[in-house]
Amino acid sequence: MAAQAESRPRYGGPVRVLLHDRVVSLDPAGEDDHPAARDRVASLMFETLTDVDAQGHARAKLATSWRVEPNKRVWQFRLRIANFHDSSPLNATDVVASLTRVNPSLKCTAIDRQTVNIETPAPVTHLPEMLALEKYAIVKRTPETPLLGTGPYRLNEWQAGERAFLSVNDDYWAGRSFPDTIEFIMGATLRDQLAERHLGQNSGAELTLDQVRGVEGANQNISLSRPSDLLVIFFLQSETAPAAAGKKTIDPRVREILSSATNRAAINNLLLQRKGAPASGLLPQWLTGYEFLFPGNFDLEHAKQLRSETAGLIIIPKISLAYDFSDPVAKLVAERVALDAREAGLSVQPYADSHVNQRSSRTAMSADAVLLRVPLASLEPSVATAAIMDDLGAADSSAALSATRPEDVYEAERKLLENFRAIPVVRIPQALWLNLGLHNWQQMSNGAWQLDQLWTEGLR
Amino acid sequence: MSLRTKLLLLVALGIAASVGAVAWLIEERAHEAFRLVEQERTGGLVGQFRREFEHEGDEIIRGVETIANSDSILRMTTEITNGTDFANYMNEAAGYAAVQRLDFLDIVSPDGTIISSAHWPVRVGYKQRWFLDANVPLPQPAFLRHVETPQGTVLALLCLRAVHRNGLNYYLVGGRRLDAVIQVLSPPEGVRVSVYSVPEQGAPETLTITKGSLSKDAASNSAANKDGKDGKDSSLKDNLDPNKFLATIQKAMTQGSEETTTVDWGPEMQMEEIIHVIPLPGYADAKPAALLVGNSLERELTLEKRIRNISLMIAGVGVFLGVVITGILTSRMSRPVKKLALAAAQVGQGNWDVRVDVKSKDEIGKLAAAFNHMTEELMAQRERLVQTERVAAWRELARRLAHELKNPLFPLQITVENLLRARENTPEQFDEVFKESTTTLLAEIANLKTIIGRFSDFSKMPAPQLQAVDLDELVRNVVQLFQAQLARSTSKIEPVLQLGKPPAISGDPVLLRRVIENLVLNAIDAMPQGGRLTFRTVADGKFATFEITDSGKGLTQEECDRLFTPYYTTKQHGTGLGLAIVQSVVSDHQGRITVSSKKDQGTTFHVELPVWGEQLAVGN
Repeated sequence: MAAQAESRPRYGGPVRVLLHDRVVSLDPAGEDDHPAARDRVASLMFETLTDVDAQGHARAKLATSWRVEPNKRVWQFRLRIANFHDSSPLNATDVVASLTRVNPSLKCTAIDRQTVNIETPAPVTHLPEMLALEKYAIVKRTPETPLLGTGPYRLNEWQAGERAFLSVNDDYWAGRSFPDTIEFIMGATLRDQLAERHLGQNSGAELTLDQVRGVEGANQNISLSRPSDLLVIFFLQSETAPAAAGKKTIDPRVREILSSATNRAAINNLLLQRKGAPASGLLPQWLTGYEFLFPGNFDLEHAKQLRSETAGLIIIPKISLAYDFSDPVAKLVAERVALDAREAGLSVQPYADSHVNQRSSRTAMSADAVLLRVPLASLEPSVATAAIMDDLGAADSSAALSATRPEDVYEAERKLLENFRAIPVVRIPQALWLNLGLHNWQQMSNGAWQLDQLWTEGLR
Repeated sequence: MSLRTKLLLLVALGIAASVGAVAWLIEERAHEAFRLVEQERTGGLVGQFRREFEHEGDEIIRGVETIANSDSILRMTTEITNGTDFANYMNEAAGYAAVQRLDFLDIVSPDGTIISSAHWPVRVGYKQRWFLDANVPLPQPAFLRHVETPQGTVLALLCLRAVHRNGLNYYLVGGRRLDAVIQVLSPPEGVRVSVYSVPEQGAPETLTITKGSLSKDAASNSAANKDGKDGKDSSLKDNLDPNKFLATIQKAMTQGSEETTTVDWGPEMQMEEIIHVIPLPGYADAKPAALLVGNSLERELTLEKRIRNISLMIAGVGVFLGVVITGILTSRMSRPVKKLALAAAQVGQGNWDVRVDVKSKDEIGKLAAAFNHMTEELMAQRERLVQTERVAAWRELARRLAHELKNPLFPLQITVENLLRARENTPEQFDEVFKESTTTLLAEIANLKTIIGRFSDFSKMPAPQLQAVDLDELVRNVVQLFQAQLARSTSKIEPVLQLGKPPAISGDPVLLRRVIENLVLNAIDAMPQGGRLTFRTVADGKFATFEITDSGKGLTQEECDRLFTPYYTTKQHGTGLGLAIVQSVVSDHQGRITVSSKKDQGTTFHVELPVWGEQLAVGN
């Protein structure tokens, strides 16, 4: 009976979560070096109109229902009754303000207090799924108070890049969550994390893949998502756009050499210890079923031949490849890519940079290419493709958003990949260590956390 | 060059050569001493390097063998042999390397695949087969080899060990950077040590490590030059630039033998350096690197410069003192010689009455005495000769006078005897005889007066009144004068004029006219059968030459030699004074007369006379 009692959810208790990355802002609409980590914290405070289930289908959240006109451009959402953390009620004006701030191309109109009309410039097949992206979270911004949301937790203490302390929202529209508080500790070193792992009973921690084996060996509770985060080499200068000052355009043939020379399987098998997946497309095979259609095989001979042919036509430049300095996996992969490229006669110089994930910062970087870690933002393929395109800033995402068939999404993705400006390398899972005191910590297949059913065991 | 100068030069050269020879000997000895010291310093440093090399090698071997014998390696290799994925051990090498303080560690599978790499983890899965492909037994001692790292190729001291599991060999390749070995070396001042490496791939030459520095002076020279030129730092002082002695390096590494060369670092460094190139052992027979030991020659060169300066100073002082002392000595020695030379010169000028006052009894004294004796003898002989010639002249004069006077006297005597005889025998005819006789007497007396007048003329030659004279004009006048006589003679003489328009000469026209007339008369006498008389004038520098050539039978050499002697004549009625007077006049004009003759081809008289304006110089 005692065991049954222990397995029953209970209210109360603190939860401590160690985040690998440092989050400096919780604004879902803002840019951050680590948006995935930011979204994990922010999702507890700020909610979107919709949510996406494990099959990629939209489901109600702040919006209770919606309908669309046949042209797929005009949508109407009916809001539920909910309050912000300052007890002010959620209304259509707040939604309009939030959505317009995030995406000015959306023509949002408050029909009444609980109804919002959204008109898109082009047909969008999956607008509800798109609005489930964390950046479309409804945030109330006032000069007097910090950002306010409607989520199950409210922000109590905030130290940018260090700590976020959330307390439960007792007035949450879906009912109070179980834990009283959730504390996020950011940027803790590996040693700190490992030490913390043994200290806190109700603790969880993000792990990088190189830490997984050591933790597994100790028979700890590890949760691995499906390989979802995409490590992609993205060349900053497009051959069609005018060259920015100090930047050179890397010839598509050189980019193809790099793609062919990159041994994705070895990177996954050896560096990622088979926990990731070689990537040849933007979206994973398990999500779309067509990733195998993209060429991503390691073909050193082809790379060498192409290099010798290209060398007779152009001067092959040295490629500088920037990666996130705080991401040890990105460092390993970047170095391995450079090593593989060397085998094909390409010179790739990897170096660490601090703001590779910020699109605005990338324009000022001197690197020829960046190794980006792009999270799988949605389980809906067209929305996920559009999100990746937006993240890269390489192409117009409207084609993906308006896709009605998988072939359309594939075509949009193919167009982006055909000139090798973006070279998918490998897909990485989210790794999570959970102490035994935590229950119902749900991790979706794209690595997103769902903590609405999380509860902790009491002190024994 | 005087004898004294020669002696001074000889002494100066002798002193300089002696000092130079001594300086050279000292320099050579110093050079040898420096070489010995340099070899000892190099040997000491190389010995230290070898000890450190061996010590570091032992440490690496110990570390790698500790890993190879560890339980964890046993477990890992066993698991891999049983099929466990390599990937699980990707970070193992880093842990082992950290514990054993190794910079490099690769754990390699039996087929050469890297299981784990401490210094370059992402190389896992790559092949490393150089020791498998070499087909040589694994070396027990540590060896040098280039190791690839993300930052480039690094020279490392490595140890290779095999780990045996289930009949398979796993390999551990561990080591440390060679920098550590070099960094513990403590080269003395002026000695630098570097390692020159030749990686298997990439740049053909790489200078990896440098320890030690030049002397302070050379460093400051280098720094000053650098700062003055382009403001760069003075790192040049510490870096051995191998491009200056690449050939030596290549030879040493090819032959595997130690090589030495001297490098002049040029005006920037102002330094020479002896470089020892010692090839270092690599895997199998490879020579991946060479130890470079540079010994600055600055001290030696400074000492040699100092020796040279001191030598120069000694030579200078020696030469000065030698010149002064030798000058004094040679002055005393050469004074009598100079007197002798002066006296000899006076003798040469005809002043035989010279004596040299030398009191020494050495060879110079004897020479002076002999000289004095010689001049005395010459004077005595000349006196005797003069007396002899004077007697001969008087005799000749007497003979001539007797001869000349005897001829007119005989008709006088006959005439007077006829007068006496006519008075005694035929008084009636006396007046007629008297008249005839007085006529004869007067004629003979006139003849005597002429004879006496000639002798008087010879003794009373007037001094020439010099003026500018046109020689061609003078010759033409004389020829004009003799024109009738030449044509009137029994056999016609044809005058030929070859006048070369010489410049005006300095002369007395009256006396010179007598000279030419006298020569013409002689020529007419020489051609009783007629012939051709050629007059020629030419300019000859400061002189004008007048030549008169007959086509007579010519003269013998003896006649030519005596022709100008007074009272010598080849003619039956000549006085022998004509050519003597000619020579006297020419001589008074600062000129010269000579005669040349060939048998049966005629005789030519050459008269050289000074050009007007040049006579003073000629006279002087």
